[in-house]
Amino acid sequence: MDGLINSLAAMPLISWVLALPLIGALSLYAIPKRGGEVNPDATRLVALLWSLIVFGLSLLFLVKFDSSNVGYQFTEKFSWIEEFGITYSVGIDGISLFLVMLTTFLMPIVVIASQSVDKKRRGYLANMLILETAMVGTLVALDAFLFYVFWELMLVPMYFLIGIWGGKRKIYATLKFVLYTVIGSLLMLVALIYVVWQHADQSGQVSFLISDLMTTNFSKDVEVWLFAAFAVAFAIKVPIFPFHTWLPDAHVEAPTGGSVVLAGVLLKMGLYGFIRLAYPLFPRGAEIFAPYIAVLAVIGVVYGALVAWAQSDIKKLVAYSSVSHLGYCVLGFVAFNAMSTTGSIYQMLNHGVSTGALFLLVGVLYDRRHTREISEYGGLTSQVPVFAFLFLVFTLSSIALPLTNGFIGEFLILTGSFQTFPILTIIALSGVVLGAVYMLTLYMKTMFGELNQEKNGDLQDCTHGELAALLPLLVLVFYMGIFPNGILKMIEPTVNSYIVAFNERRDKLDEAQFQAGESEEAEDPAEPDDAIRAELEPDAISVIAQAGSERGYADL
Amino acid sequence: MQISNVDYIIALPCMILSVGALLLLMAEVFLKGKWSREFLSGVFVLIALVSTINFQEHYVEGGTAFSGVIFGDPFSFFVTVLILLGTLLTIFLGMNRMKDEGIESSSEYHSLLLMCSAGALIFATAAELVVLFLGLEIMSLALYCLCGSALRLRRSSESALKYFLLGSFSSAFLLYGIALVYGLTGSTKIGIVSEFLANSNSSVLLSVALGLMLVGFAFKISAVPFHFWAPDVYDGAPTPITAYMACVIKAAAVAAMLRGIWAMFDQDSLYQVWSGAVWLLAVLSMTLGNLAALRQRKFKRMLAYSSIAHVGYVLVAFLAPQFGGGAAIMYYLVSYTAMTLGAFAVLILVVGHKSTETDADDISKFNGLGWRNPMLGVLMTVFMFSLAGLPPGFAGLLGKFYLFNAAIQADYVGLVIIAVINSAISCYYYLRILVAMYFIEAKPGESNPVAIDLALATTVGVCALATIFVGLFPSYLHEMALWAVSGSGM
Repeated sequence: MDGLINSLAAMPLISWVLALPLIGALSLYAIPKRGGEVNPDATRLVALLWSLIVFGLSLLFLVKFDSSNVGYQFTEKFSWIEEFGITYSVGIDGISLFLVMLTTFLMPIVVIASQSVDKKRRGYLANMLILETAMVGTLVALDAFLFYVFWELMLVPMYFLIGIWGGKRKIYATLKFVLYTVIGSLLMLVALIYVVWQHADQSGQVSFLISDLMTTNFSKDVEVWLFAAFAVAFAIKVPIFPFHTWLPDAHVEAPTGGSVVLAGVLLKMGLYGFIRLAYPLFPRGAEIFAPYIAVLAVIGVVYGALVAWAQSDIKKLVAYSSVSHLGYCVLGFVAFNAMSTTGSIYQMLNHGVSTGALFLLVGVLYDRRHTREISEYGGLTSQVPVFAFLFLVFTLSSIALPLTNGFIGEFLILTGSFQTFPILTIIALSGVVLGAVYMLTLYMKTMFGELNQEKNGDLQDCTHGELAALLPLLVLVFYMGIFPNGILKMIEPTVNSYIVAFNERRDKLDEAQFQAGESEEAEDPAEPDDAIRAELEPDAISVIAQAGSERGYADL
Repeated sequence: MQISNVDYIIALPCMILSVGALLLLMAEVFLKGKWSREFLSGVFVLIALVSTINFQEHYVEGGTAFSGVIFGDPFSFFVTVLILLGTLLTIFLGMNRMKDEGIESSSEYHSLLLMCSAGALIFATAAELVVLFLGLEIMSLALYCLCGSALRLRRSSESALKYFLLGSFSSAFLLYGIALVYGLTGSTKIGIVSEFLANSNSSVLLSVALGLMLVGFAFKISAVPFHFWAPDVYDGAPTPITAYMACVIKAAAVAAMLRGIWAMFDQDSLYQVWSGAVWLLAVLSMTLGNLAALRQRKFKRMLAYSSIAHVGYVLVAFLAPQFGGGAAIMYYLVSYTAMTLGAFAVLILVVGHKSTETDADDISKFNGLGWRNPMLGVLMTVFMFSLAGLPPGFAGLLGKFYLFNAAIQADYVGLVIIAVINSAISCYYYLRILVAMYFIEAKPGESNPVAIDLALATTVGVCALATIFVGLFPSYLHEMALWAVSGSGM
């Protein structure tokens, strides 16, 4: 067994994980037709097989991951567009590891849940598999251009998934989704090219490698603008209030599987972009914007919760709860200490699990009754006990009850961010309360009491297929809630070194600008004489040092 | 004047096309076969293409022919190959559809097409301004007739007349500019003019000459505000000719403009003069082109406005001569040609035999295409994503990347931001075709059955392969473009 694992791990693993879903998507079109039609169950089986193989391979990441190594692992690098130094360069670190795992883990579940897709299932599954490649690619890309390409590629299958298999307003929803994202990401591209040429001017070497770009010097003003360009792209994707309006539309119109992937993985990409690109490249820009982003995140937490409370459509309710939950993740990350950032990454995984499961459950109801109105349901516990139990567990996980995964994440985030943004964190706490209110209200209205609608009298409980999709998530809810250490221990070292690297780069940038300012002064004929400058210097240094310690990062 | 073999070799493609054009006219009497004229014209273009590629080593840096009136440098080689390939695909586009498009005389059509391409070759490779003008006129006159070649269609005649009137108007601008340049410098040879200008101070009259020439070129590449002819002409002309105008003619005009402006007015002081104007042209073309395209219901009009927008993107890199802008533009022209010709080929297939109807190219004709004909749907998806500049349309994505890259190096960050916002807007109307193809079911009677024929299938296939190849392995083409541009002193 060990020999097998070792020989498998010797392969270019990441490339296989990227390539296999694509091959799988193509293989779906090789399934022979019978009587002019492709057997939809056969396509589901084939797609399931491929997604399980990919998940199996990605388990090797987990097995072979060296958590003491804070750098990138499993790296591969090939030249793609030589004259611009663009490479196919991929790797995984402690931050992306579990997001990759979440992606490959959710995919078989989505494939199993595709039984409710009754038209053109082959195309649906092919799009899902392509989406898997795009998502994993975004997570593992170490070259900024490659990141951009995968980032944009994520749009395409999602565009088709919502547009073809979506609800009544699918065209509106899918175009809105694409246009929002494209505007943001194109601005990011402009900023990226600008950074690359700044870097080329300074180092004489054109490169799109993120690690190379991280050595570029900027003046503070430029850095602020560049950070803003990246931040808009990522804020739209998260989405951070007020860029969130595409999300409820996309969620409501998307088919169940689309919603699961959207909530489970795609939304995290925005925050992942902050982590991977915006923060490391522009630390001073990040510091200037961090309080504002935190304010927006908290507005998102409270606003999302309030709007969710007011919904009469279950899916819309869960969609707005996503806005609220991702607010926590963003808050935890921008608070930027080891605890809150680790919590933020952990909470991303939790949200993927519990909200993904909630969307699956909504899908179960919708398949049976073709309505998502809360008022159409009531007192279902007696009719569908298994469903009611699962719904209860995932509801509790969503409102972060201790022993469920949500608790760990929110606890870490709130404890951590309290150190940086005490007042904002207190306000964000109200979101926890509100979350309990709207989720429990939803549960009470739909599940408790007498069965009040005759139409629900012949409602079927979960089928085996649905259970097969939901049970792995159920296990994860408790595993991640009771034994968080296994995962946290693998995330934490990377996060710690990430924060150290961030601070180092910020200090370096400050120093470089200080020196640049000095040398400009030196060239200036009207410079103050040396005595005055000598007097000025220590002052300036102490100001910077003081500013650094005021930010509260130094003592981490 | 001493004429050597090299002179003939450089002029060979143009001569082959001209001979072919004349032969086709005479052959009308003898040729009776169904595809004989199409076949014959295709053979001539192919011979021209093979001879160009065969004699590649004669296209050397600084090379000219016929005592310096035609450039025989790598740039000429690149443009010649592009024009000839485009012409070949255009012949394929029209191969089976002469009757459907309302074109009655196939041999005249093909003769004019070869003539037009010969003119385009002269226009794009001219080293002397009078020859440049001559090429422009040969090209344009043939093109006016081609636009009106669907004789009994009113919109075709309207298209020809409109193009003729505005085209002659624009030629006059260019000619006036040339006359002033001659008056100021005493020469019409691009190299000599450039040298002369390097040693002289700029004057108001020179700026006027520059401005007039710029207007003339702007008309030909249909940059806003000199674009008014484009939508109507594109809409009225037979579809293969629309495609030909959007790709081949545009490529030739951009190439000529690169020579005319970059090579001739390359001094810093003159750059200051024309860069402002080109900046404005770029912004207007992108913005107006995209906004107008949003509102179109007809595919040809939409692509007409989209081609105006694409000219805007090209002009963005036009401002960055020293930063690889030329190579970026040439890369973009090739990938744009591939994807646009492909899109037009799909349109011809979708419209089928009903292209003489008024709303033959209504977007609703694409409804449900992705499910009726999955392969065609996938290829059209590639073309549309490529035009929008989104993956998996890497050709368009990298094309824009190269263009914007050059402009950002030249410090036009503001302009690039305008360009990317435009690029995002353009996604809406390209994706609308995909909406029709995949998200809307065709109502009975709304769409035509797609009858694939070999010629069009080849065209779509070649264009798709080119789009995908150029996108996935951009280095080959980009390096060739670099060689072409830098090997020609631009």
